[in-house]
Amino acid sequence: MRYTILDVDILEPLPAVELGPGSAGVAVLVRRRGIPVDFWMEEIAGPRTLRPEDVAKRIAAQAGQKLLAASIRDELGSEPAPARGPKVTVAVCTKDRPEGVARLLDSLELSRYACPALAHELELLVVDNAPSDERTRELCVERRSVVRYVREPKQGLNFARNRAVAEARGEFLAFVDDDVVVDRLWLDGFLAVWAAHPDAAAVTGQVLPLELETEAQILFERRGGFRRGFARVRYGPVVLGNSLYPGGVGIVGAGANMAFRVDALRELDGFDEALDTGAPMPGGGDLDIFYRVIRAGLPLVYEPRFLVFHQHRRELVALHRQYRRSWAFGFMVYMAKCLRTDPARRMDLIRLVGWWFSKKLWQLQKAVRGTYALPPSMVAGELVGGIVGLCGGYRRSQKRVERIRRRHA
Amino acid sequence: MTSAPAAPDGCVSGKKYRRRIVKPVTDAFRPWRLAHVDLADGIAEPFTDDVAGLFVVFWLREIPLGHLALPPGSAPRNLGQLKDHIANAVAPAVGYRMFGEAFRAPLPLRPHMSSPPPTLALEQLVGCTRPLETLGSASSGAPPEASTTVIVCTHDRPERLRTCLASLAAQDVPPMETIVVDNDPASGRTQPVVASFAGAHYVAEPRPGLSIARNTGLHRARGDIVAFTDDDVQVHRGWLRAIEHVFRDAELSAVTGLMLPTELETPAQLAFQLNGHGWGYRALTFDPEFFRKMSGIGAPVWRIGAGANMAFRRRVFEEVGLFDERLGAGAAGCSEDSELWYRLLATGKRIRYDPAAVVFHTHRETADELREQMYAYMKGHVAALLFQHQRHAHRGNLYRVFLELPAYYIRKTAARLLRGRVPFALPITAQLRGSFAGLWYYLLHRAEPAWTAPAPPKVDGP
Repeated sequence: MRYTILDVDILEPLPAVELGPGSAGVAVLVRRRGIPVDFWMEEIAGPRTLRPEDVAKRIAAQAGQKLLAASIRDELGSEPAPARGPKVTVAVCTKDRPEGVARLLDSLELSRYACPALAHELELLVVDNAPSDERTRELCVERRSVVRYVREPKQGLNFARNRAVAEARGEFLAFVDDDVVVDRLWLDGFLAVWAAHPDAAAVTGQVLPLELETEAQILFERRGGFRRGFARVRYGPVVLGNSLYPGGVGIVGAGANMAFRVDALRELDGFDEALDTGAPMPGGGDLDIFYRVIRAGLPLVYEPRFLVFHQHRRELVALHRQYRRSWAFGFMVYMAKCLRTDPARRMDLIRLVGWWFSKKLWQLQKAVRGTYALPPSMVAGELVGGIVGLCGGYRRSQKRVERIRRRHA
Repeated sequence: MTSAPAAPDGCVSGKKYRRRIVKPVTDAFRPWRLAHVDLADGIAEPFTDDVAGLFVVFWLREIPLGHLALPPGSAPRNLGQLKDHIANAVAPAVGYRMFGEAFRAPLPLRPHMSSPPPTLALEQLVGCTRPLETLGSASSGAPPEASTTVIVCTHDRPERLRTCLASLAAQDVPPMETIVVDNDPASGRTQPVVASFAGAHYVAEPRPGLSIARNTGLHRARGDIVAFTDDDVQVHRGWLRAIEHVFRDAELSAVTGLMLPTELETPAQLAFQLNGHGWGYRALTFDPEFFRKMSGIGAPVWRIGAGANMAFRRRVFEEVGLFDERLGAGAAGCSEDSELWYRLLATGKRIRYDPAAVVFHTHRETADELREQMYAYMKGHVAALLFQHQRHAHRGNLYRVFLELPAYYIRKTAARLLRGRVPFALPITAQLRGSFAGLWYYLLHRAEPAWTAPAPPKVDGP
């Protein structure tokens, strides 16, 4: 039970696709001159062979309008890409996943090669967070000509991120997770956004699946995954028609692929270490930094060309835990924090919490009836996680984090 | 490894926000900037003024292709950003004009009822490297030959009427005749305005009611095509040409067009504009098939167009009857136009919405006027549904009044409680009161005839 992922460029000859007997469908990423235009999933029972004409028909049906928009954009004329970009530090915060880091570093090399405007000053930083062995350090020592290694003993993702903020030497700091592979044109995407929005304090990117081999991965991606669309969006203080924004800031991007202006991060006092701490308190850290960037009046731009591929959790149990812990619990802890620290938006935030719970209840009743993409146990888990998070989750996390700080002082 | 440098000073656990906090922009409303850009002239101005919201309409010569509505804080900073927006905004209309049905707009049908559009060959899309240039070079064909009567009904709005008539006089393709029906002749302010325009005929209709005025105009009309517009509207100079062009299809009985704003200076105007039914920039045909599919829940004829921009073949009135005088401004409040479209569809006729026929409407300025308008709109809407049921015995109309509308109000109220006030939302309470008023109006007036014999023709001014 797997989906074959196709990555095609319409300006090149389309391939024929062999779908083996275990194949349940295809996921197609369509590009135009390397730039991603659309992504969709389609159920097709294997075994089958899709001829190039079949592929062409599906692309025309799904992505026709977006392809036309890309042609029009070209016709309207673009400024040439700048010859030199800013100095960028790419930080990988990792714990006990050297294979992931190795794979990511390989993809970063490819991307650097494809983008000379940023390549010359690019800095790669690996922040090894409370590792249990030396494998990551050894890997970085092997590659020391391209990678700088730093160890952050205080366990917690946001501790590692703040370490990167302190250590970064570039003008911009990009974070990518260790279960991610960057697209060949990832750096080009960043350059394009920087050229078009030079005042952006934060840039978020598209996150597509690296593989769709297991039921958990397919389930997650069918429900939307981390996808945020294929249009570049500049986020300001208001989104027309969305009264839950900016509390519901998750729409702007995902923490697996984000970049910031370093001085903006430092002015905002970095990441909140009581959030996104890993095992006891996963999640919420990226939401919090996006929220604070927007509430400070700084522009945030979502750019689909700034693309990475994420390896989703393979097991259903792990996915279940992620829904319950990272995204429900983590989200609610972030909400609890915002309620305490942003009195100006308190009413909106309270309403957002209410809306979230009623949405979960609605999804639960759909799941019980079998008409929702997730099983009822997962939705129930989310509800439980949300309630626990809202009831003092932030304060507990702060105490825990204070203990960690004292231990390492 | 050396010891790590100190973490950024006191990370924000629990700290109150010290950064300057942006005030929500809805607190201090500023008039939005409204602009029109012709893509054939190239794009020079990036509209970087970030103080107010931005509403830009994109054209290719005479054809409107799309628009952009950006709140304050989202204005483009440079040309590149603006061009990103343009490409996304105009792609649907460009696709439809170049490739036809493969890019057609969705009809307002229930999702399971619409059939997928025909697929386009990918090579055509790929080969299309300069779509705007290709579109611009397509010729519009020979100028149509038709006789059109333009009817404007007015009620004591002489200055607005003057602007309207001036725009009519500036048409590329002038109408055969222009009739101005004065629904308040006692005021004496309309006739002098009409007299100052050479081509306009003045007709007095003392019986109050927009439908009555429209019918009076109809009785005086001589053209094969009758086009209606309102006195708070200015027409685009290609309006009539576009209408006559669409009517070349002999199977069409009626045409409606696009309505754009003249200004967006107040929150009420923005609320009206942003909550419109999203009349798109792609043409749509409403035919008996559409009517049949939607008859179970009441065909949404109110989405076909606006009474300020509609045209008919004059002979259809002889087949289906005149405007229902129990509806419309001055009577039930609204919906005399949609009720007529309902009748046309119910008798097997076809209606086409074409965005190439453009008028510019000045929306109601104050919140009170908007509330009144929403009240009148819902009152007329509910009354029209009940009159439609009375005339045709289609149960879909009852479904709409007694099931779907209440569900709509419950959903809107629940959303309002849960999600809070969305900026520029339409007033719900006024709509709700209007719905009950419409029900009551129907009960009071259902025994009256739909239209009466016209008053004897008055002598025109010199």
